[in-house]
Amino acid sequence: MHVMLMYVISHLGLIFFMYPGNVISSTEQGHWLPVLLGVVIHFIFINIYMKGLSYFPKKDIIRIYAGIGKGTAILFIAPVFLYFSMILLITLRAYAEIITIVFLSKTPLWAIMLLLISISTYIAAKGVETIFRTGLLLSLLFLPIIIFIFFTSFQNVDWRYVVPLDADLGFIIKRTYLESFFAFSGGFLFLGFVQPYFSYDRKYILWAAAFLIPFFLFSVYIPVLTFGQATSATTFLPYVVAVDAININWLMFDRVTMFFLLSLISFIMLYLALVSWKAIRILSHYLPSIKPVKLLLALAAAVYIACFFIPDWKDVEKLFWWNTFLRFYILIAIPFSLFFFGRCMKRKGIDESI
Amino acid sequence: MNPYNLKSKAPITVCLLLTVMILTGCWDIRDINHRTLPVVLGISTIEDDQYKVFLKIPEPVEGSMEVKIVSATGETISHAVDVISRNMETSVDLLHVKVIMIERKTAEEGMKDIIAGFMRSREVSSKALVTICDQNMDEFFSKLSESKNLKGTNMFDYFEKNAGWNPEIALTRIWEVYRSIHSYTRDVAIPLIVTGDTTTYEQVGSAVIKNGKMVEQISNDETLLFNAFNDESTHGQIEVLNHASVMIIGNSMNHHTDLTDKQPVLQSRINLKVVVLETRGKTSSDMIKKELSHLLSSRFSSMLANLQESEADILGLGQLYRTKIDRNELKNWRSVYYPNLKSDIQFQIDIQNEGYLRTT
Repeated sequence: MHVMLMYVISHLGLIFFMYPGNVISSTEQGHWLPVLLGVVIHFIFINIYMKGLSYFPKKDIIRIYAGIGKGTAILFIAPVFLYFSMILLITLRAYAEIITIVFLSKTPLWAIMLLLISISTYIAAKGVETIFRTGLLLSLLFLPIIIFIFFTSFQNVDWRYVVPLDADLGFIIKRTYLESFFAFSGGFLFLGFVQPYFSYDRKYILWAAAFLIPFFLFSVYIPVLTFGQATSATTFLPYVVAVDAININWLMFDRVTMFFLLSLISFIMLYLALVSWKAIRILSHYLPSIKPVKLLLALAAAVYIACFFIPDWKDVEKLFWWNTFLRFYILIAIPFSLFFFGRCMKRKGIDESI
Repeated sequence: MNPYNLKSKAPITVCLLLTVMILTGCWDIRDINHRTLPVVLGISTIEDDQYKVFLKIPEPVEGSMEVKIVSATGETISHAVDVISRNMETSVDLLHVKVIMIERKTAEEGMKDIIAGFMRSREVSSKALVTICDQNMDEFFSKLSESKNLKGTNMFDYFEKNAGWNPEIALTRIWEVYRSIHSYTRDVAIPLIVTGDTTTYEQVGSAVIKNGKMVEQISNDETLLFNAFNDESTHGQIEVLNHASVMIIGNSMNHHTDLTDKQPVLQSRINLKVVVLETRGKTSSDMIKKELSHLLSSRFSSMLANLQESEADILGLGQLYRTKIDRNELKNWRSVYYPNLKSDIQFQIDIQNEGYLRTT
């Protein structure tokens, strides 16, 4: 249950910001195809990943790779660590920027980043149980708000913007489309880290992933249906702009966007906590002499300082793009290698028993 | 229980004490009494491409609300607002602007940049209503400030659906105008306002906006049809005929579209439910039906002819052809297809009841 909620939360935080913009600018019509393709790839890889993990009960992926051999550990664990650090860096920087764009226009970036990283580091320092318990609390508090706003954002849709439905595959090589995969590949790796602490049923994770499909689809389609493709392609955060256009007379709050964004930002904080916890698990496995808390503080400080070397949004986008290669490597290599090694192990096990 | 150990608790105590620092709240905070929250923002252009910006600011004075009007000029709107802010003892915050008013001349020159600016900065809510002032803006606001019954939010109430809104008023928000700038098939209508003789405001019609430019004007009666077409409710609308007046209490429509050889054909049926209010002379319900449907369909076709001439698709008819026209071709909807559109609009009138009296 906890794992399922965590899965939903960390993805929701990622979906609503840059993902719609990326998909909308990747193709002019038939946006259902890029979304669907992403969802299908997502399903295939989490399935393979969980299948692979199931060959190694009660082990997280660090021990699995370490058990196989030094070479594989370097080949797989090092990129994963690098990937996590990059995610931390990019997410922190990008979301701080988004917060300044959307509401805190006068607050300096360093303060926002400090707030984000300090809270998530604190949660991460308390360990995985705390992260998951916080996840439960946050979802009780904020999921209803998000779902409410999600439904009210249908207020301004004009369904005739759905057509033309026919799509072509030209978007696959578009840079923005490849970038949009961060929403799919950002969250799933934690399934391999929680193993000794939490057990989960594969079926429930798939249900959680299925629960996310409408959010993926409509985060793209609500801006398209409200504004039309030509208009929504000109906006930076199409979904947020569409939520801004919601008008609810009976609600005493004028801007529901604020509630929506703050809920999502809290999810992002939790996501950052989860990622830094994972990164620290890797680090402390190889540096057992140093206390994990110290490693965590060092990592947080390094990420925080590195953020200052990114002066503007163009550079964030550049980093984002570089990270895309790493992302695809992780997305493809980790599930497949686990699956492969798992199969080998099993076969060997059978041979030995004979 | 462990005794309190100062040494081990020291770091956490220091951290807790440090949090006191942030208890003061955010920095750069301006308390609400140091902010000015205008409700109406008026924009006109003067010579050398400068904007003149008017702000209508409600001010609480001894239990009642009074209104102050300030203005300034600048190269950009934000600059002009900044000038006002500089010259005032409080800082201007556009967060609660509800109505944007643009002078007719400015709207005719095009207001693409103005609207895009609002969308970009996000300081003004994208839900704010857009209106056009069919009068010199200096004159408009000076008349307003003389007016006696000017309350803090009355211009907003004029448009608000749960207050003074009327089905003859086009209700268009910033994001809809922005959509019309980029959309291939969608234009909007914006109310044209002047100061009234006995009432504070008077609507003289609606401006038709195409790609962010005012190109045409439609009357109040035509605005009603525009609203009916866009499914804004037309409830409570009174139509006056030669022999009777009726109240419209419901409308629904269905369309049948056809496209042969770049020639769109539209067959629409609009169903209206009406209640008879008053009759003059000898009147039968058949007569009312006939008269009403004749009146509305002739009004509709003359409006559509006007709109086709100016190539502005405020009714969103292009939306109906999205299934039939390829997206690349849709870009030319306004220039190629829309002027050729043939329409056949039928009004189907149902008299729901006739009040306490019978008509024959």
